[in-house]
Amino acid sequence: MKRISKEDIVNISKRQNDEFNKYKNMLMVCTGTGCVSTGGISIRDKFNEVLKNKGLDSENIAIGTGCNGFCAVGPIVVVQPEGVFYQRVSLDDVEEIVESHVKNGKIVERLLHKNPVSGAINEKIDNIGFFTKQQLIALRNKGLIDPENIDHYIARDGYKALKKVLEENNPEKVVNDIIASGIRGRGGGGFPAGVKWESGRKAAIKRNEEIFVVCNADEGDPGAYMDRSIIETDPHAVIEGMLIGAYAVGSREGYIYIRKEYPLALDRLNVAIKQAREYGLLGENILGTDFSFDIHVHRGAGAFVCGESSALMQSMSGKAGEPRAKYVRSVEYGFRDKPTVLNNVETWANIPAIIDKGAEWFASIGTGDVSKNPWGGSSGTKVFSLVGDITNTGLVEVPMGITLREIIFEVGGGIPNGKKFKAIQTGGPSGGCIPESLLDMKVDFDSLSEAGSMMGSGGMIVMDENTCMVDIARYFTNFLVEESCGKCTPCREGLYAMKQTLDRICNGEGKEGDIEFLEEMSETIIDTSLCQLGGSAPNPVLSTIRYFRHEYEQHIKEKKCVGGICKSLIQYKINEEKCIGCTACARPCPVNAITGSVKKLHIIDQDICIKCGICREACKFDAVEVF
Amino acid sequence: MALLNKSKRIDISVNGVKISAIENSNLIDSIKEAGIDLPTLCYHKDLTPNGSCRLCMVEVEERGKKKLVTACNYPVRAELNVNTETEKVKRHRKNLAEMYLGRWPNVPVIQEIAEKCGAVDKEKYKSDLTDENPKACILCTHCVRACDEFIQEKILGFAGRGYKRNVNMPFQKVDPHCVGCSSCAFVCPTGAISIDDNLNHPVNPEMIRDHGMKVNAEMATLDPYQCRMREVGTANIVEVMDAYDLLPVMNYKYGQHKDTPKMDSKVMKAKYFTQGHPDQCWHGCSMACAKAVEHFELKTGPYKGDKVIVDGPEYETAAGGSNMGCFDLDFIVEYNFYCDTYGLDTISYATCMAFVMECYENGIITKEDTGGLHLPFGATNDALEVLHQMARGEGFGLEFGQGIKYLKEKWAKKCPEKAQFIRDIGMEAKGLEYSEYVSKESLAQQAGYTLAIKGPQHDEAWLIFMDMVNNQIPTFEDKAEALYYFPLFRTWFGLYGLCKIVWNDVAPKDNSMKYPPQQAAKIPDHVYNYWKFVEGMTGRELNEQKMLDESARVHNLQKIMSIMLGKGERKDDIPPYRAMGPVTVEEYESRVLRYDKQLKDNGIDIEGKTSEEKVQLMKDFRYEQYRKVTDAAFTRRGWTLEGVPKIERLKELGIDLPELVEIVKDKQ
Repeated sequence: MKRISKEDIVNISKRQNDEFNKYKNMLMVCTGTGCVSTGGISIRDKFNEVLKNKGLDSENIAIGTGCNGFCAVGPIVVVQPEGVFYQRVSLDDVEEIVESHVKNGKIVERLLHKNPVSGAINEKIDNIGFFTKQQLIALRNKGLIDPENIDHYIARDGYKALKKVLEENNPEKVVNDIIASGIRGRGGGGFPAGVKWESGRKAAIKRNEEIFVVCNADEGDPGAYMDRSIIETDPHAVIEGMLIGAYAVGSREGYIYIRKEYPLALDRLNVAIKQAREYGLLGENILGTDFSFDIHVHRGAGAFVCGESSALMQSMSGKAGEPRAKYVRSVEYGFRDKPTVLNNVETWANIPAIIDKGAEWFASIGTGDVSKNPWGGSSGTKVFSLVGDITNTGLVEVPMGITLREIIFEVGGGIPNGKKFKAIQTGGPSGGCIPESLLDMKVDFDSLSEAGSMMGSGGMIVMDENTCMVDIARYFTNFLVEESCGKCTPCREGLYAMKQTLDRICNGEGKEGDIEFLEEMSETIIDTSLCQLGGSAPNPVLSTIRYFRHEYEQHIKEKKCVGGICKSLIQYKINEEKCIGCTACARPCPVNAITGSVKKLHIIDQDICIKCGICREACKFDAVEVF
Repeated sequence: MALLNKSKRIDISVNGVKISAIENSNLIDSIKEAGIDLPTLCYHKDLTPNGSCRLCMVEVEERGKKKLVTACNYPVRAELNVNTETEKVKRHRKNLAEMYLGRWPNVPVIQEIAEKCGAVDKEKYKSDLTDENPKACILCTHCVRACDEFIQEKILGFAGRGYKRNVNMPFQKVDPHCVGCSSCAFVCPTGAISIDDNLNHPVNPEMIRDHGMKVNAEMATLDPYQCRMREVGTANIVEVMDAYDLLPVMNYKYGQHKDTPKMDSKVMKAKYFTQGHPDQCWHGCSMACAKAVEHFELKTGPYKGDKVIVDGPEYETAAGGSNMGCFDLDFIVEYNFYCDTYGLDTISYATCMAFVMECYENGIITKEDTGGLHLPFGATNDALEVLHQMARGEGFGLEFGQGIKYLKEKWAKKCPEKAQFIRDIGMEAKGLEYSEYVSKESLAQQAGYTLAIKGPQHDEAWLIFMDMVNNQIPTFEDKAEALYYFPLFRTWFGLYGLCKIVWNDVAPKDNSMKYPPQQAAKIPDHVYNYWKFVEGMTGRELNEQKMLDESARVHNLQKIMSIMLGKGERKDDIPPYRAMGPVTVEEYESRVLRYDKQLKDNGIDIEGKTSEEKVQLMKDFRYEQYRKVTDAAFTRRGWTLEGVPKIERLKELGIDLPELVEIVKDKQ
């Protein structure tokens, strides 16, 4: 490959699109982390092998793409350009798809998606409920390009925005466009990205210092993988975003801080950076201009707190990842004490689209009015990872302002196994739990905060009726206790005390005043913690007290856990009427607590029972009940 | 972090009390000024605040917005209303103090803080983490910061996250790199760190530590705003000397040059220095002024093409460059390396080369004398070749290596019509080459250089800074007194093997306010530190008289030995004129206003005089001044006007030994 010019961007795009158009069928095989683990890469390779053997490879091709988001039904193969969607494809299905669909034009019906509720069959990806409500900006290329091929990205208007800003040669305009778009940081803080850029640009000029741009790819929330997927799907979108940001603020050097636990994302990122360098899109004199910029990749070691920007910069400097006070902001004194503009992966990935399609277009999506100031609303889309007790587990990109109900019941397909919805936890471990009464709330930065939760980086954990909210608060608090860096007192000592109190409540040792103590401590932790890890850590406790106070009270006063989770507060009993004496429950019991012979009523000895719940799962007649 | 803008002040109000705060200073300073004692466990006056205990939370109202901030690290940038005692603040403070009390109930500083904050409930936060040890570590981070900031080591750090956080050394092992400076123990508020003080059996280790820690604290808090010794070492003087017209340029002809910015400490820091750790000249020194250049590729000599580590360059080596008219740091680092490697002194080499270059430019010597080398000012390559020849003992290098005294006599004979000029510009006395300061305009430094027993190096009486930069010894009497005190004081350092640099390359914040200029020049608080080091080690109490007497015995002994060797009398203490004033018309005219004024102010009629005549008038005037200051200095030292120690002075000092008296008795 060789260094390319601005004109080459257009030429490469045309050439690649011509090549795409030459194919009758493009079998887009999902090779995101989820589908790779179920064989995506070997399926892609087998497709190409079979196509070749059958002499069909000149008009048909299999391409590995990034994550489609619908991880629950992987490995996924989408046949483009028609958009036929095959799910749970295995190696054994390859031959059939090629023979039937590719060669004879006959769709393989057994691999199509079925609506789990109605049972209706959907041929096309566009008709599947999971996809219809989505609007793609950050993930605009998902399922459509090979992330390891820079020409594919260019074919889908990639690096067109970079070309545009270089031609316009007006960095300030770029900053103003980003402000006007209203885009707020997708990493959790929701700070307007353009305002941050402007401060960084001014600080660098004022101090006559170099300035860094940083991409935060240290996604550490349990159950969240938005940033990982974006990098795996479209790494050049992130690189182009950073290039535009660097150009706007006057930076020559950028860093991507990425979790070491993301091997596939890391590989794809390195491939993309290498390709961009070969094209001269990174390095000196980019596209023949006097703009020079390069990106270094820094691997994080997996500390949750390193997602906090000042801790991240400490870690990048080779120090222990601990936050510092932000009274002096990192846009002025950040990495190496120089001005530093940090945005997360999703924010960077949005930038090229904003420049390409215009700030107004972006601002028109979402809630509120950002035309006067970016705090006026939440514009654009947001990627969420939808996990927990939900039918369509996966990654979705939806416009801001969509309701939680739409996300859960339309995109997510509702709660499986006929159970009832209880709560949704948003915003990662230090987000809050939102009850059913608020499901018609619009999802945006400000509404979520008002509800006692937060946008965070976009994790959504759905919980059904068999969930204990005190236990959930305890789970997240435990996570935060382990991930607190320990630098400041309230987070270190306060969270530990909180965990102990929750442990006691769940163990049936709760006492009068515990709830008030949790509330009092929460206030101190929120108000006095050094960083936002501590500042938001009490959210799970406070939001569950706010919406599910009665559960706390039941635990403390009645010593009861309605979710059936807290072992000290529950008993398993066998319903005399339902039990048929099949012995299925007694056999797997690890402590032999169940007595009763064949065809006779079984009884659980409460003194021996360890409440592991295996009997309940084993019983086919719902005879084992929890009290 | 942002450097403090010391000049701008901002009005703030603390609980209604108006305070004028320095912009970007930490809020806690103003709160203290208002007489309010905020509770805190992690703040330390000499360490960078890190805001970890959160006890100093206060409410500030800035631009109409109220918020809670930690006072220790909140920078004052705009007008503020500060309230230290709102209900919310008090509630949080009490809660935080209770958290401490629950974890470390028996540590006295915590009990004190708890009382201050109204926290009494020891049970509220009691848990399995509760540690009953009254000397428990409370994670205040003083020790970790002191290790980093006082001594620039990172031996201590934290291990474990969250509630598992603990102070430790790397990999939980005793780190052999710990220099045992004891800073950590000194700043520890609970006694959790203990130190073995008996490594070399000092009489009073506490005394040594108390005063040593003052030095450490000044290094950490003041050096970044003063000489930046930690950052760039003595190289910081390059730009200062240039600014004050005192940097030797082209054999001391001039004191500044337009190309100095090419070789000043800014360039060294940006492009050359790679090392600055406290592991170079004295392991554990908190100033750590030694710097080094790594991966430097040599362009000449036996190691050409090799990448080497070069120790330096220091100020004198860099100034040697300008003295040779070479403002090229690559050259300076290269000659630095080869002088070190060959065992040569960079100062003697540079000063001698500067002399050779001026002789070459004046046609006193030619390529015939230099074996074909072309040696005008700025001739970097041929200057390096002379250095290599000197090491090989061949060619012009063999001659050069014998120094200025030898060369000047040789060339004066060869070129008798220019003999006086050659003697005027050959910058040596007693056979030693001058070090790299222009003493022309500083009478004190002229005498400081030439009255030094071992020759004109700056160690014995480095008066130029206090005379010319700080203007601390303006009168004739001040200079004579300085010529008595400083050589003795500096000899005393040598006697004890103490480093001079931490004496005056950082000064206490209030030094110039606390003392009159002549006293301030001595930096009395630092001299006192040194006495306490000696006392703490030996048990012997010192004061100024005792110190000077100890030193005077050795100083006079050195003087007598020098007399015995034939270099110790007044005739040997006469500087070459370049050290005292303008030798050439060109030099005179470069500072004509200053020189004319000095002549006129001293009643010398210069009306209608040519520059040549004025050069001579100035020369006569300056030698006369020098004669006077020498008389005064010798008298103050208890020497005859010929510079011979009087026998009564020897008696006074208790060194009237027959062998010594024998040498001086006929010269009384």
